[in-house]
Amino acid sequence: MAKDLTLLLIIALPLIGFAINGLVGKKMPKTLVGGLATGVVFAAFLLATTLFSGLHGTQIVNLFNIIDFEQLRINASFQIDALSVWMTLIITGIGSLIHLFSMGYMSHDEGYYKFFTYLNLFIFSMLLLVLGSNYFVLFFGWEGVGMCSYLLISFHYNDAEKGLANSLAGRKAFIMNRIGDVGLLLALFMLLGQFNTLEFLQIGKALETNTALQGGAMIFITLSLFIAATGKSAQIPLFTWLPDAMAGPTPVSALIHAATMVTAGIYLTVRSNFLFELAPFTKDIILYVGLATTLFAAFMALRQNDIKKVLAYSTVSQLGLMFVALGFGAYTVALFHVTTHAFFKALLFLGSGSVIHGMHEEQDIRKMGGLAKLMPLTHFTFLIGTMAISGIPFLSGFFSKDEIMAQALHHNPVVYGVLVLAVTMTAIYMFRLYFLTFQGQFRGGEALKSKVHESGLSMTLPLMVLAVLSIFGGLLNLPGLFFKGTAHWFDHYLSHGTFGLSAVHNAHLDFSTAMGLMLFASAIAIGVFIWAYLTYAKKGATAKADDALTGWEQLSAQKLYVDEIYNTLFVKPLLALSDFIGKVVDIQLLRNGVYALADGILNTANLTRKWQTGFLSSYLFWMVFGLIIFVAYYILKLSVWH
Amino acid sequence: MALILLPLVFSLMAWFVPSAFTRLFGLFATGVALVWSVVAVCYFQPEEQILIDFGLRFVRFSIDSLGFTMILLTNAVFLLVYLSNFTGKIVNDRKFTALALLMQFGLLGVFTTNTILGFYIFWELTLLPIFLILYWFGSFDKPRALLQFFLYTLLGSLAMLLAVIGLMHATNQQTYEALLVADINALGNTSIWLMGGFLLAFAVKIPLFPFHTWQAETYTKAPVAGTMLLSAIMLKMALFGLLKWVLPIFDGVATDFWRWPIITLGLIGVVYGAIVAIRQSDIKTLFAYASLSHLGLIAAALMLHDDNTNQIAVVQIVNHSIVSIGLFLAAGIIEQRLGTRQMSELSGIAKVAPRFAFWFGVLTFISLSVPFTAGFIGEFFLIKALFNAHAVTGFIASTTLVLGAVYTLRAYQVPMFGPSKFASFQDLNWSEWLVFAILSVAAIYLGLAPQCLTDFVAHSLTQPTH
Repeated sequence: MAKDLTLLLIIALPLIGFAINGLVGKKMPKTLVGGLATGVVFAAFLLATTLFSGLHGTQIVNLFNIIDFEQLRINASFQIDALSVWMTLIITGIGSLIHLFSMGYMSHDEGYYKFFTYLNLFIFSMLLLVLGSNYFVLFFGWEGVGMCSYLLISFHYNDAEKGLANSLAGRKAFIMNRIGDVGLLLALFMLLGQFNTLEFLQIGKALETNTALQGGAMIFITLSLFIAATGKSAQIPLFTWLPDAMAGPTPVSALIHAATMVTAGIYLTVRSNFLFELAPFTKDIILYVGLATTLFAAFMALRQNDIKKVLAYSTVSQLGLMFVALGFGAYTVALFHVTTHAFFKALLFLGSGSVIHGMHEEQDIRKMGGLAKLMPLTHFTFLIGTMAISGIPFLSGFFSKDEIMAQALHHNPVVYGVLVLAVTMTAIYMFRLYFLTFQGQFRGGEALKSKVHESGLSMTLPLMVLAVLSIFGGLLNLPGLFFKGTAHWFDHYLSHGTFGLSAVHNAHLDFSTAMGLMLFASAIAIGVFIWAYLTYAKKGATAKADDALTGWEQLSAQKLYVDEIYNTLFVKPLLALSDFIGKVVDIQLLRNGVYALADGILNTANLTRKWQTGFLSSYLFWMVFGLIIFVAYYILKLSVWH
Repeated sequence: MALILLPLVFSLMAWFVPSAFTRLFGLFATGVALVWSVVAVCYFQPEEQILIDFGLRFVRFSIDSLGFTMILLTNAVFLLVYLSNFTGKIVNDRKFTALALLMQFGLLGVFTTNTILGFYIFWELTLLPIFLILYWFGSFDKPRALLQFFLYTLLGSLAMLLAVIGLMHATNQQTYEALLVADINALGNTSIWLMGGFLLAFAVKIPLFPFHTWQAETYTKAPVAGTMLLSAIMLKMALFGLLKWVLPIFDGVATDFWRWPIITLGLIGVVYGAIVAIRQSDIKTLFAYASLSHLGLIAAALMLHDDNTNQIAVVQIVNHSIVSIGLFLAAGIIEQRLGTRQMSELSGIAKVAPRFAFWFGVLTFISLSVPFTAGFIGEFFLIKALFNAHAVTGFIASTTLVLGAVYTLRAYQVPMFGPSKFASFQDLNWSEWLVFAILSVAAIYLGLAPQCLTDFVAHSLTQPTH
């Protein structure tokens, strides 16, 4: 099949699933709805693998013109290259696993067909985002995934208990994303102003020949793009929506808020590498924002007791880590971590979903414990996910994280030091989560314990596949020191097939430093594992109630009070301003001013007493009548005069 | 000509229709008008324009592609207003039907007249029916609320009348084509004053800050059908007047003088309307302020007087009509079923009326200008045009993305989500459903293929001016 046709089919399939389920899904049996939704995404994945295997250079597929003005043409066109195909593989591959998982997870939900409709729409939007060949199509997808995210976060808006909170969480996510979108919008305008096109390749080629376009303009453009990235990828200062977004059903958290959508900001930066390379200042900003985010988010995760909240802060932290890599200009390294993170974080979220499902909607780890025996498959895969993210040697996270640490050590030892702290905290909160959930005694009471069950095959199968990927994902990009022949496959793949990346080179450490780095990282991960085993499994330490916490524990549990600070600094003043303008300026000043004027006119004409006694109709009539006479007079006069 | 006169004939006939058939008659009349205009547009060559000239001095009409767009929009809006109120009482009143159809005639006149005086006369002609509709069918407890609207309008109209007379006097011309080639710039400061007269009338009607205070109160207290007519089509007269008449004619000294003051007022409206909307407790008032915000953006962008921006502005004008019919219909449905518009009294409607929740949700997203809707294209290119004019104006305009999300989602979520306060809520009936569906299809179509509209109106918007 021709590549362009394959590409269009990949995009069209989720759209077809969306349309069918949206229109007639309500009347179809559940298995058909879920099967169709899963099937189209899986079919898209299979097609994407053919694109992957036949990948050769960059190909543009132009569908139609969205806008075709004399000076400006914007096409609905798509780009097949190493980066877009790789993202497509992640989205459709992990996407189909999560669709499959949802068939089990959502089986009792009355909004079943709606859920799959939204999910397919999301996949479609996400594919637009990564496959577009210009920033406009990307923006289409960018806004589209934001809308789907909103719909899916507030999916259970009718819930008697949490309905309101769910819908507020959705709103918060949408609004914070929109703040980032303003950045993207402004970046697009500036790009249009500078290059008169939004096509990635054309902009990149224009920059190759025109070296004058550096400095100020590039800094503004790249900073605006980065603001957009902080919104979508939950970085400081726009990260607070992501933990709240856990209000959505767990498969949504896995798909949108861990594996795919939140990595859009990293994709945007990698895609725009030729712009960022011209703005070292912006790269520094990215580095420090990423660094601060990875550190603070890891800290906040230390004392969360909601199984999904721990994973949410963990996601924010891991995304920060990816931005650190971007700040060093190590684009392929960042994308390697995007990939492995997609494997193990999707696994962890789905695992937590399986736990929540088995625990009958309980999410508090203080009521869990000992689930290893009750849910063996979930336990085993969750442990693999935990080990992968914590950097236990030879699992996927170990390799991808090590690459980032290596970049940091090469460029800036202080950054490396901070990362060590963040990575240590990551291992701490993950093993704490694991031990409190799966080991020790069950703390949810006997009644609940008797009802806890392992999930069905549609849920455990995706867990097993993701576990395998989490173990072996590191093989994609093995370090050069042991595996000379097969090493750095992913770096080569991406940098040779993506515009701009072949000009960027990652730092490489000498053998002994690299070796020492790995040993040190392994020591941290294994050390934390042993510490956590001793603390939680042997001594049986449990999580304290939130109000019993003091000092740093309280700060962590209360998320450094960032929400409260934002409330005081932004939300409340905006509402007060709205009240002030609405009530004082608009009504008292402007409207009553006009009233006073009207009364004045009426009083002067001494009409009030006579006319304002309810006979508005006649009063209106006279005014209109007068007007007509007036007009008629002028028409006559003008006609004569003419 | 029949295209324009048809509503007038129907309006007169409406007085003689038995009251049992009034609603059907209204639907029939607006339906015929729409079908007629659709057929006419099929035979229309956009490169040319239809000239209707009786040899009378002031009565001349010409229909170009922009005019046709507005005719189609007008006729579609009237049919949709009828459909959406089809089960209400108001459309069964022959006074309303006769007045609405008269207004339709006036609007068609405004959009097709070829003389500047004709523009003024038809402009005034649309006022009488809307006043009477507001007076007879509105809930204005105090006359001065309605009087406010009236005074504002009167003030604007007087200013425009003086400007029309002045313009005719100064140029000794009165047809559109003659005014286009007249040397307005030679008038110097006089041209600034003349344009100012028009702008004052338009500022009231668009509305622009600070001439907007009549809007919220009038929208809130008008019957839903009246609010729809006002916001979906009647206030578009001002944007049309700016686009078709004032900006091309006064191109030069006067436009340069007024450009930044009007852009400033428009952008103040964008931010001001949005901020005020955030805390409104009445859902109809909230949408009124939202309208102020949306229209400020279009007005500001129009002042740039750039061909492509003008074309996109037409897309956004149509989009705003779609959004305002949809949102005011939703507000009307809530008010009709529950007898309240206060957000604090509303909650959980989605649970008892899922179909309404779905379609109101779709319209909410259309109003939020998400991708695949006309507003996405419209907002993107209008803000881009403002950004190109000056980075700061672009930035201010782009705040609408964020603030719009704040108030629009609140307007949707508070009544629809959360625990259900109402045991029952009659879900959409067929005519309401049909209106929502038509609006959504139109918005999505324009969002995917805006070029069909921009190319069509380009024929009248890209004429070489002097």
